Amino acid sequence: MRVCSMNRRQVLASGLLGGAGLVLDGRFRRTFGQAQTTVNFVDIGVGDPGDWSKYTAKSGASVNLISIGNAPSAILNVLIGGGGSATYDVINIVGGMQKPLVDNNLVDPIDVAKLPNWNKDSYIQEFLKPGSPGFNFIGYNDKVYGVPTVLQGDSFAYLPEATGNLDSYGALFDPKWKGYVALEDNYTTAGQKTALYLKKNNLASIANPDDMTPGEIKTVVDFLIDKKKEGQFRTLWSSFEQAVNLLVSKEVKVLDCWEPMVFAAETKGMKAVYARPKEGYLLWAMAAYVIKNPKRSEEKTKAASELLDFMLGPWYGAKITLLRGYMTNPEAAPYAKSHPEEFPAAQAEKIAAIDAGVKSKFELGGTWQNRWPTHVETYEEEWARFKAV
Amino acid sequence: MMGKVARKTLLALPLLFTAVFLLLPLGLTVVISFWEKVGLRVVPAFTLRSYAEFFSGVRFAVHERSLLVAAEVTLAGLLFAYPIAYVLALRASRQTTRVVLLLFTIPFLVNHVIRTFSWSYLLSRSGPVNEAVVALGLADRPVDWLLYSDFAVFIGLLTSYMPFMVFPLWLALAGIDRRLVEASWLLGAPPLASFFRITLPLSLPGVFAAVIFGFVGSFGESAVPIILGGTGYQLMGNAITSTLDVINFPLAAAMSSVVVATMLLLLAIWYVAFDLRSFLGKILRWRL
Repeated sequence: MRVCSMNRRQVLASGLLGGAGLVLDGRFRRTFGQAQTTVNFVDIGVGDPGDWSKYTAKSGASVNLISIGNAPSAILNVLIGGGGSATYDVINIVGGMQKPLVDNNLVDPIDVAKLPNWNKDSYIQEFLKPGSPGFNFIGYNDKVYGVPTVLQGDSFAYLPEATGNLDSYGALFDPKWKGYVALEDNYTTAGQKTALYLKKNNLASIANPDDMTPGEIKTVVDFLIDKKKEGQFRTLWSSFEQAVNLLVSKEVKVLDCWEPMVFAAETKGMKAVYARPKEGYLLWAMAAYVIKNPKRSEEKTKAASELLDFMLGPWYGAKITLLRGYMTNPEAAPYAKSHPEEFPAAQAEKIAAIDAGVKSKFELGGTWQNRWPTHVETYEEEWARFKAV
Repeated sequence: MMGKVARKTLLALPLLFTAVFLLLPLGLTVVISFWEKVGLRVVPAFTLRSYAEFFSGVRFAVHERSLLVAAEVTLAGLLFAYPIAYVLALRASRQTTRVVLLLFTIPFLVNHVIRTFSWSYLLSRSGPVNEAVVALGLADRPVDWLLYSDFAVFIGLLTSYMPFMVFPLWLALAGIDRRLVEASWLLGAPPLASFFRITLPLSLPGVFAAVIFGFVGSFGESAVPIILGGTGYQLMGNAITSTLDVINFPLAAAMSSVVVATMLLLLAIWYVAFDLRSFLGKILRWRL
């Protein structure tokens, strides 16, 4: 008795045709976890959660992660001279780069109406709304160009067993720690923190530490040069490992640095504290920008937009907070707490603590880092003077 | 006939490679140094503004310091490398020479930055050198100037580039016809006179090759000053990188052009003062 009217060849042919059909309409690839579109995502080593499957499951697209340095020059060189505009889709860097990026036609404005998670993110309204200094990290000329992916406030670290409690940037310049202080080799961080210290303590007339005039920059650098000549600084650091080593080897007691460096030093057995300075913090945010590329397919543009929304989402936020120690979005901590299968209790508590800690920094305030100040070339030239003396 | 064509083709390949990947970028660098910066873009022009900015600003002081430091490191490198190369070429057995030269290649197998970081551990306040200094009673507390100082940069540069200097020196010394030295002895010259009148002059092409290796390397070094230097210690490599941070390509190009011109000047002095072909001839003879 024949149960099927087709012979073996017909069965095979039908199978092949059916399979081809599935591939063509995309269901096959999505069913088996293979993405149709790949978003080229450029990142500075902070925005990778290590697993993009949730994004792929939702959008059908995959992520191709590409590493890049965070220096403005590295970013602009890659996009302007390195052909990055034609290759990359989304770039996740420390924000505040809109002026050079937009003025050189390198990024597209973002239609936030297409991002369902945008309005759920109360931190955007609280800290990054138009008209506030924080907006300069994501917007330019009243348009939004970047999606905030992490937020953080920087100050300095110290070894409490050697220094006691420190609560002012004045510790960086205190003769008590002469020869045991190191600064970051960066005028937009160390320079701006110095400006904040001078302003808040009425030691210099500086209107905006986040965008100084050439005269104000000179005042800051003159102050630093005086301190340098007195032997206040041990060195200037320029890499993560270098800064951590300075703390771990006790080469310095007070260090202008980033908070993750304290976490790294603690894992090596050092008792280090990240200060809560009375002058406030150097606040900053990372932003994900969509690279301008008129030739990009609609499908890919949609996938890029979905990636931005995914990065504003609770799972991504919780994962990045856990991995990097930065605040992401207000949904992250509640999500982690309500999903113990993904985030065990200890991790959820850590995420909530980091979120609360960074939020309190923003509530205290300070100055927003300016990655591309109006007189950026004067900043560089003056910093070169500080270093050359 | 076919042999000639094949030889010319083979020679054309490295020439083409050099032209495309060395001369063309260098030419572009010189051209861009005269261009103008408008916003973040560079616009073709002919202006000496970048050169004026370089020669009148603090960056020229960095250039002067780089020249001085490179000269010091090269001189010290020669003082260490020459005796080593001399012993290996003229006194040691073939087997010993091979082993020692092999040992001198080991630093090249370790990443330059990692090697430099190891110095920051050795010279730190809590490092083994300072521990030894205190234990031996040479100082009652760790010595600060061992690290993050001019001294640390000097040590870092010397240990980075001295091995490069040993090889050309050994090559030049090994290529000296020993019968000339023997003739000098037979004619009654004391060993020191034989060295200064025969060995040293004949090894000068190697000395100047070593000088170029040591000087060029130290002059353009950027990792050692960052890792071992004091507050803001810079050499030219760092100053150029700093300029690139604000996308000032014409100024960076002008600084690079001056560096290249300085190096070419040194090379020209070498070429005029010493017969390059005699040195290359020795290499060929040794290889055959």
